[in-house]
Amino acid sequence: MPVISVRDLTRVYQVGDIEVRALRGVSLDVEAGEFVSVTGPSGSGKSTFMHILGCLDRPTSGQYFLDGRDVSRLSRNELAAIRNHQIGFVFQGFNLLSRTSAIENVELPLLYNGRPSKTSERHRRAMEALRLVGLEDRAHHYPNQLSGGQQQRVAIARALINNPSILLADEPTGNLDTRTSIEVMDVFQRLNAERGITVLLITHERDIAEYGTRMVSFRDGHIVSDEKITRRRIAAEEMAALPPVAV
Amino acid sequence: MSIVMTFRIALKALNRNKMRTMLTMLGMIIGVGAVITMVALGNGASQSIEQQIASAGTNVIMVNAGNFTTGGVRMGAGASNTLMPEDAEAIRNEVPGVQYVAAGVDQGAQIVAGNQNWFSRVQGTDVELPLIRAWATESGSFFTPADVASAAKVCVIGTTVRDMLFPDGTDPVGQVIRIRNQPFKVIGVMASRGQSAMGQDQDDVVFAPYTTIQKKFRGITYIQNITVSAASADHIKKVAEDITALLRARHRIQPDESDDFMVRTLEDIAAMRTETTRTMTALLASIAGVSLLVGGIGIMNIMLVSVTERTREIGLRLAIGARGRDVLTQFLVEAIVISLLGGFIGIGLGYGVSRGLTRFLEWPTFITPQAVGVAFGFAAATGIFFGFYPARKASALDPIEALRYE
Ligand SMILES: Nc1ncnc2c1ncn2[C@@H]1O[C@H](COP(=O)(O)OP(=O)(O)OP(=O)(O)O)[C@@H](O)[C@H]1O
Ligand SMILES: [Mg+2]
Repeated sequence: MPVISVRDLTRVYQVGDIEVRALRGVSLDVEAGEFVSVTGPSGSGKSTFMHILGCLDRPTSGQYFLDGRDVSRLSRNELAAIRNHQIGFVFQGFNLLSRTSAIENVELPLLYNGRPSKTSERHRRAMEALRLVGLEDRAHHYPNQLSGGQQQRVAIARALINNPSILLADEPTGNLDTRTSIEVMDVFQRLNAERGITVLLITHERDIAEYGTRMVSFRDGHIVSDEKITRRRIAAEEMAALPPVAV
Repeated sequence: MSIVMTFRIALKALNRNKMRTMLTMLGMIIGVGAVITMVALGNGASQSIEQQIASAGTNVIMVNAGNFTTGGVRMGAGASNTLMPEDAEAIRNEVPGVQYVAAGVDQGAQIVAGNQNWFSRVQGTDVELPLIRAWATESGSFFTPADVASAAKVCVIGTTVRDMLFPDGTDPVGQVIRIRNQPFKVIGVMASRGQSAMGQDQDDVVFAPYTTIQKKFRGITYIQNITVSAASADHIKKVAEDITALLRARHRIQPDESDDFMVRTLEDIAAMRTETTRTMTALLASIAGVSLLVGGIGIMNIMLVSVTERTREIGLRLAIGARGRDVLTQFLVEAIVISLLGGFIGIGLGYGVSRGLTRFLEWPTFITPQAVGVAFGFAAATGIFFGFYPARKASALDPIEALRYE
C-alpha cells in the first residue's frame, strides 16, 4: 500500500472574481521509502500540491489517502496533529524562530505534542535530531549565528524530531549555494536510506532533482511526466570529491 | 502545551519588548493603584468614623471643626481653625440640657518608654471625657482641671499601650514616657474595653490634656472637636440644635452662610457614614471602570500589534502542529501576564501612596486583603476580556497565509 495516494486532486483559489485553478486533477502514488523530486515551471502548482500533502491546506476536490486514511476532509485540529507527528515539512525560507536557539527551535514540535513532558528528555531528543544533521555542536547558537545551510539543517532536525514517516521539502536548497545544497541533499539522502523516511522534494534545478529516485514534473496544475531516475547522484560521494574549505 | 511552558514563552515574548510591555502595563498600574488607594482611603475614613461611634458614650453629640458636608470649597482654608476652647465653655454654660463637655485635639505620635516604642493616637481631651464615655481608670487616675489649666505633661494610657511599652509588667503609673520626644508622666491606666463592635482596639489609646497637645505639639489655640453629652436621650435633638445656634452666633455666621463646624449625634454619624460609603463606592466603581477600560484597550491594542508582527511565527507554530487552541492560549496568557504584572505593580503603588497619605497628610487609610484580591481579580479579568479578541484572531490564521505574510 502506498504511503501517499492522491486521486483527482484540485485546488481552486478564489481571488476576487477570478478563479485560479492551481491544481487541475492530480493523481499520484508514492511508496514508502521513495525519494521523489517534484519539478516544473514556476506557477505550475508544486507548492500548492505540497501544502495539501503536508496537511497545511485542503483540496477543493479529490481525495488524499495518507497511510490509507482519507485526510482530505479532516478538521483543523486533526490536520494539526498529523503535521505534528506524521509529516515533517521543510521550507525554502527555513522559518526558524529568531532569538531562539537551534535546540529550542528543534524542540518546538514536541511542545505541541505533550510528549515527552520532561524538559531533559526533550533536550535529549532534540540533541539527537541535531546530531542526525551534524549540528550537535551548534545547539545553542541562534539562527543569526548560523550559515544558511546550517539553518536549513536545523529546520530539517525540527521536521524530524517527532520521527515522521514522511519528509516534505519545498525548495529546501533554493536559498543555498552549490556546496551547502549538496550538504543538505546529503542529509536527505541519508535519512531516506538509513531511516527509510519517504522524501518528497520540490526543486527548480534538474541536478538537484537527480538526487532522488523518481522525478515528477508539473505543468499548469497537471503532472506531465513521472519517471525513474536512472543515473542518481549521491551527495556523500560528491562531498568527498569537493575541495576542503578553510573553516 | 503545558501551562508552565506557555507562561515561559509569554514571559520571553514580553521580555523582548520591555519598553512596550512597561508602557502597556502603565494603564493597569495606574488603574489598579488608584483603586487600591481609593479603597484604602474609603476604608480608613469609615474606620475612623466607626472608631468614633464605637468609642463614644451614650447621648453623645460630636462637634467637629470644619464642615465637609456642605460647600467645603467655598469656605476657604482657615475655616477649620475657628473652633475654640471658649466655644466648649459656652456650650457648657449656655445650652440647657448639656451634662458634660470635653474639648479635643488629636495628634498621632511615636511613644517611647525605655527601649520599647509604639505608634498611637494621642487624644488631647478634657477631664469630663471619662464621664461621657463611662470609662474608669484601672489604676492611677485621670488628669485634673489643674493639669488642663497648666498644660501639664501628664497622660493616661490604655492597656494595649501599657502592654506595648511595659512588656515586663512594670506598673506604668508614675513612670515617665516620651511622646514625640517630650517626657510625659503616666498618671493612670484606663480599664480595658477590648475591641469595639467594628473590631477596633479601644485600648490602643493615650489621653492627655488638650491644652498640652495644643501648646507642646501643635502650637495652636483652636481645637478640633468638642464631645458633649446630653443629660437625657430625649433632649439630644434639641441640645444639638441649640449648640448649632450658639456656635453660629459665636462664629458670627450670616444666615446665608453655612456652618464652619459640624454637630452630629450618633444617629447622624451612622446615617452619614452609609451615605459617604455609598458615594465613595460609586466613585471607586467609576474610577476602577474607566482605568481598567483604558488599560484593557491598551492591552488589546498592543496584542493586536503583536499578533500582526508575529504572523509568520504563528504560521510556523501552526505548521509544525500547534492547534488553534495552543495559539489562542499563548496570546491570551501573554495578555493576562501583562495585566497581572500591571495589577501587581499597581497594588504596590496603591500601597505606597496610601502609606504616604497616612504618613504625610495623616489621612487614615486601611488596605484589606479583599481589596487586593478584588483588584487582582479585575486585572486578570481585564486581561482575559481584552486579550481574547487578538488571541482569537491569531488562532484563526491559516498556516500557509500566515507563513507567506510579509
Ligand atoms: N494563496 C493563493 N491565492 C491565490 N492564488 C494562489 C495562491 N497560492 C498560489 N496561487 C496560484 O496558484 C498557482 C500555483 O502556485 P504554486 O505556488 O503552487 O506554484 P509553484 O509551482 O510552487 O511555483 P514556484 O516554483 O514559483 O514556487 C499560481 O498561479 C499561483 O498564482
Ligand atoms: Mg512554490
